[in-house]
Amino acid sequence: MSNALEHSYNLAQTRQKWTTIAVIALILGLVLTTFDVIWAFFRAPIVASDVVIDPPAVLEGGTVITNQLLFSQKIFYFHVPVAIVSFVLIIAAAVYAVLHLMHHSAETDLRSKTCMEVGLVFIIGTMISGDLWTRHDWGVWWVWEPRLTTYFILTLLVIAYFVLRTAIDEPERKARFSAVFAIIAAIDAPISFGITRLIPSSIHPVLERGDSGMSPDMLIPFVCGIFGMLLVAFGIFRLRLLLQEQKLEVESLKARLEELDRQ
Amino acid sequence: MTAKAKAPGGWQQYCALLGKDIRMELRTREMLVSMGVYAILVLTIYGAALSQTASSFDILSVAAGLMWALILFTSLLGLNRSFSHETENSSLEGILLTPVSRPLVFAAKATSNLIFLLAVEVIAVPLFFIFFMGQAELGSTTPLMILPIILGSIGIAGIGTFLSTLTLNTRGRDVLLAILMVPVVFPLLYACVSATSVALLGIEGQIEIFWRSLLLAGGYDVIMLAASWGLYEFVLGS
Repeated sequence: MSNALEHSYNLAQTRQKWTTIAVIALILGLVLTTFDVIWAFFRAPIVASDVVIDPPAVLEGGTVITNQLLFSQKIFYFHVPVAIVSFVLIIAAAVYAVLHLMHHSAETDLRSKTCMEVGLVFIIGTMISGDLWTRHDWGVWWVWEPRLTTYFILTLLVIAYFVLRTAIDEPERKARFSAVFAIIAAIDAPISFGITRLIPSSIHPVLERGDSGMSPDMLIPFVCGIFGMLLVAFGIFRLRLLLQEQKLEVESLKARLEELDRQ
Repeated sequence: MTAKAKAPGGWQQYCALLGKDIRMELRTREMLVSMGVYAILVLTIYGAALSQTASSFDILSVAAGLMWALILFTSLLGLNRSFSHETENSSLEGILLTPVSRPLVFAAKATSNLIFLLAVEVIAVPLFFIFFMGQAELGSTTPLMILPIILGSIGIAGIGTFLSTLTLNTRGRDVLLAILMVPVVFPLLYACVSATSVALLGIEGQIEIFWRSLLLAGGYDVIMLAASWGLYEFVLGS
């Protein structure tokens, strides 16, 4: 009995620790994201196509080149980090799904599912911010363009993942099947990420990596945005995981109580 | 020492499973009839949908898309039925009790689904041409469209068999199969529509797009069939 007590004490300790870490990550992430947004609006230079024709370096950094003053480009500092984090989350869900198929533990399934849940939130964020940008710069709400199409498919796949989960009752089979589908769904994530490089005719701007032409004034908020969003995602993931673990535990405790009642 | 009976090889097991599906279909004709009738119904709906188009309307520019929508809807119906016999008499458990490797079960089922799908296409695609393409000026490359049809059917049958096993014992499985299948199969559909369209239009100098689309479709088939083959064990497990 004392062993069980010690175990649950240790569990509570670990949980306490992770809750603290998650809350700190969440706050830090929110601060960084706020910093990103403020910097983007007040410090980052407005990309204006008619001014920057001469030094072509300024043209890069994911900007669309039109004839207007691209104040709308500032949505870039929000849209791109959110999109990158959504890809990271879907890949993480697939990694946990592979681990689940290898070890069949309920924990990995829970993590895979939680990654998908947080991923869906970020996907919706990407969709909304991207759509506003599309409407403003391309003049339409939607085009069937490679990046948009593949990302839309990713959205549908993640929604389908949750539909699949609700359609299966048996917990063990639910976990196994949704892990399989998470892997299939994640095949689309790298395709969607890389398609603007594979198909250069795509009108979606390509964000170059490495020593690209982003000036420090643009790079700083952008990097802050990515790290901030990653921390926010991690914080939400951890807190959500904790909530679900506790829910499962309450359920198992209830079942045990009922069993004791019957005896 | 007892003499051991020689276990049949993989190829024989595959042939036995495939033969069983084909024999059963020839006796009941359940899938072929329902898919064929459904394909004709979709064509009828197209008739209503296109009835108000002007005489100058160029059917060729949308023909490939319409044809692939027809194939996809028809295959969704067939795939939902393909496992119905197996669950009705719990004969799937019977198959699983035999020492047949799981991927082989997948391969046999996917092949039988492919054969039925191609059989329905042999009727539905010419009917589509008779009904809607009578006055269209087909390009000289039209016969090439058989290649995207074959590649597309392989992909649809493969990933469709995999997903229909996934949705086998779920609530509302007919709808669920469509929800899972349409986004997964989208890249293949896109590539096949593009290739078919180029073949039908037959514009000079665009044949390169045809081969590139075909390459995309082939790549998709390889990736998805490999994933299905590898993951089938987990889907069909205990």
